[in-house]
Amino acid sequence: MKITFIAADGTVTPVEVTAGESIMRAAVQNDVDGVIGECGGSMMCATCHCYVDDAWTDAVGPQEDGESDLLDCAASEVRASSRLSCQIKMRPELDGVVIHLPESQL
Amino acid sequence: MLDHLLAPLDDTITIDQLTVAPYPIYKRLRAETPVLRVKSVGRTFLTKAADCKFVKDTPEIFSSDDPNTPMKRAFLAHTLMRKDGKEHLAERMAMAPALMPKTIQEVWAPLYRQLADEYLDRLPKGQIVDLHRDLSGPIAARILAHILGIPEASDQQMIFWSQALIDGAGNFGWRPEPFEISDRANAEMDALLEKAIARVRVAPDRSALSVMVNAENPIPTSQIIANIKIAIGGGINEPRDALSTIVYGFLTEPEQLAEVRRAGKWGQAFEEGIRWVAPIQASSRLVTEDVEIGGFYIPKGDTVMTIQASANHDEDLFDHPERFDAFRAKNLHQSFGSGPHHCGGAHIARRTVGAIMLEALSERFPDMTLPEPETVLWRGFGFRGPINLPVKLG
Repeated sequence: MKITFIAADGTVTPVEVTAGESIMRAAVQNDVDGVIGECGGSMMCATCHCYVDDAWTDAVGPQEDGESDLLDCAASEVRASSRLSCQIKMRPELDGVVIHLPESQL
Repeated sequence: MLDHLLAPLDDTITIDQLTVAPYPIYKRLRAETPVLRVKSVGRTFLTKAADCKFVKDTPEIFSSDDPNTPMKRAFLAHTLMRKDGKEHLAERMAMAPALMPKTIQEVWAPLYRQLADEYLDRLPKGQIVDLHRDLSGPIAARILAHILGIPEASDQQMIFWSQALIDGAGNFGWRPEPFEISDRANAEMDALLEKAIARVRVAPDRSALSVMVNAENPIPTSQIIANIKIAIGGGINEPRDALSTIVYGFLTEPEQLAEVRRAGKWGQAFEEGIRWVAPIQASSRLVTEDVEIGGFYIPKGDTVMTIQASANHDEDLFDHPERFDAFRAKNLHQSFGSGPHHCGGAHIARRTVGAIMLEALSERFPDMTLPEPETVLWRGFGFRGPINLPVKLG
């Protein structure tokens, strides 16, 4: 399965992942700059904030319980498409998903 | 499971050795016995980054709830630091809004900037001062008092309470004196908190105390008080030691300071300082089911210790780990931990010490030096940092 990360400066990084992997972990394991994911996916640190591409928001779905509380506190601007990438697990219908990254996570 | 091969047992390493010079020991352990039962500490040491991260990220197996520590006695409460799952999450989230980036940007960072100026104003230019005692500790205490919602507490009170709680929580010998002191600190904190709670009820603000007291469904008052105490116990030493450590790093590597100043890379330098000497060096987790780590069988009931000090120097992740190097391309340190207990103060530390103080200090005293670096003493096994920092302010 494929994820395409687009950094705030426009850098495009395609990454191959397996189903069940979170988008945060895919970014961290492939050295994608712009995602830190310091708390390992426990919804504690808000350092894996991402924007789901407009074409993919329906497929990805809305924020999970508790996610918006933490997103309230994210370092960069929060938009309708904002998600914590640790809470998005890859599944077949997300193959090819495009993820935009914010300017800063800290 | 590997025929239940237990990790090797060491009976030579002493707590004194770990307190004075832990890094050479950890270097040896990473190379020879990265999973090691250390008799003097009564814990199984994990010194590789991957093993430490695995433990922190797997709370289903590695519980924070270790009832046999003196922490409960010192705090006179079962605190969120030693809880798991939903119970931990509820108490943590109650306080979280006060510690998160948006509140920091709007409230604490502007306040810290002002406090930093005031505290720097007090330092005498041209003289030698102990920066650890005269700046790192007091500024950490002052901003914390505001964040927690108890600005009426003095720096001295905050520092005394914090140390009393730490000494009590670390009193594994169960001697009476540390508990007598922590009891005294608890009585003082309780008296002050009673008044502060009444105040924030009438005049809510963005502080941790106010956010918890005025929540729609507040957690019990006893846990609000316990949360404030855990933040006092855990919120002064770390930013204090981080600041002193980074200043030491810069003053012994002045060309790096010049380059950081030129490039404005203060955040990167902050991350490197806390990687280099992690203010919290080790944490314990209780093993709740038989598990294998690094090829060894770790039985249920064992207590493992993640040594993040060592994870941060793991040769698998870091070149020349023993050197302060503010220009590392990647710095995946574990100084704030990981998993559900990831440091609640991480954002604050980054946006105060990292984003404000280092630069403010360097602007105020651009020619600051450390005339005798060899006189700086480093101490600590659980918490670590310099205990003095005699700098010449210039």
